[in-house]
Amino acid sequence: MKKILLSLILIVAMAVSSFALPAPQTQVEAMVNSVLSVLQRTDLTADEKKVQVSGLVQEYLNMESMARRTLGSYWEDATEEQRQQFSDLFVQVLEGTYLNRIGDYSDGSVKFLKQRVKGNKAIVDTQILTDDLEIPVQYKMIYVDGRWQVFDLVIESVSLIKNYRSSYGEIIRRKGYDGLLQLMEEKVKAMRATS
Amino acid sequence: MTRFILIISIVSFLLIGSISCAADQSLSDTDSMTSTSLDDFSDDDFDDAFDDNFSGSGNTSHELIADPLEIVNRGTFWFNDKLYFYVLKPVVKGYRWVAPRPVRISIKNVFSNLVTPVRAVNSLLQMNVRGFGTEVYRFVINTTFGIGGLFDPAKSIAGVDKSIEDFGQTLGFYGLGHGFYLVLPFVGPSSLRDMIGTIADSYVDPLRYTGMRTYGLLIVRSVDSTTRLSLARDIYDGIVKDSLDPYLFIRAAYVQRRLAQVGENVYSRNIFHGPLFDADMLNPFEWFGLEL
Repeated sequence: MKKILLSLILIVAMAVSSFALPAPQTQVEAMVNSVLSVLQRTDLTADEKKVQVSGLVQEYLNMESMARRTLGSYWEDATEEQRQQFSDLFVQVLEGTYLNRIGDYSDGSVKFLKQRVKGNKAIVDTQILTDDLEIPVQYKMIYVDGRWQVFDLVIESVSLIKNYRSSYGEIIRRKGYDGLLQLMEEKVKAMRATS
Repeated sequence: MTRFILIISIVSFLLIGSISCAADQSLSDTDSMTSTSLDDFSDDDFDDAFDDNFSGSGNTSHELIADPLEIVNRGTFWFNDKLYFYVLKPVVKGYRWVAPRPVRISIKNVFSNLVTPVRAVNSLLQMNVRGFGTEVYRFVINTTFGIGGLFDPAKSIAGVDKSIEDFGQTLGFYGLGHGFYLVLPFVGPSSLRDMIGTIADSYVDPLRYTGMRTYGLLIVRSVDSTTRLSLARDIYDGIVKDSLDPYLFIRAAYVQRRLAQVGENVYSRNIFHGPLFDADMLNPFEWFGLEL
């Protein structure tokens, strides 16, 4: 009788685990692999690569959530138009940053350490391995619209969004909202010029 | 018959239970993925990690650290920036050309091995016996098998990583805050607390007791920092290029990183995990069956 009970439990457990939604780690792996595969292609020009990677990044990152978290309390006070303006620029800044950075580590490999899930939030721990460095990179994710999306990157325990929030907040405090937007516009222009 | 009903009810109970659990638990299965699960995931860690990002939208203050000397700091920052681009970068470029990467990695290792006392003493001061043991073990292995620290077999073979501690972290461990932010010429971001820490640490640094003159010390130290700079992947260039205000960005990053380093003892236990050889055999903690 015990055996039957045990096997029943086993069957139930297996059935339950097969219902699992696409796991956050799988999502991060897909993102990292697709970005790296674009970067490692030799038949594309740098510009073509950028276009392709930018599409991928937008697919996996939750830009809206990142923009909102970056502005923090200023998001609440901003008008719909201001929010839109900010989001548009923010996407470009973020993309530029990501594109500039990721190339530096395209020779490294990525090791997936573990994932933790709680409700609609998840943390995926990874490491970028190069010949002499191990850089811990953590992806913070939320589950929206039926899939897991990244809303923060924590590199060597430095959260990108927290960093943005701190510096953007400071800039707003000193130069106002329009001052921030103006700075962002200049930055985007400069990024385009150098790329 | 009654037994049968009992079993059915137990099974259905389990079924319902596991399904409702599955709603938030089933996903945490990393199933067959090649993950090295380092420690069991505790709820507290998780909530801490999300703390800031999920608790509404930013009632946290923007200034992560007091910066009353910002005007002076920005001046020093400007100086360091120019120093970096006009002096250090060309030097590093030449250095990279002269010394191949493995050579520079070995030089870095030697310096890192040499300052073991700083990490060991500070681990001890924070009652981090494991960290202290790690440092002693690493020093012994790397000085002997690693030929005077040129190589790092303690890490590359046994998978025993450094326990990065300094006196600034020790002060932080006992609850002392940063005081205020400081940018030091040549050195870079620091704070009142961490600057005191750096000065204190220099008394444990063996280089101090080699009888070298200040001039010689200065040269040795600049070799050390140039080597490290040559191995870093121009991170600073990237920050300058990407951020709206590099000064603010670096300040925030510094504070976040130090905060994590100070808090490290509390939640991070993944000091040992050996990817290469069988770590169990070479890991002294495993010999005694100590659970990590």
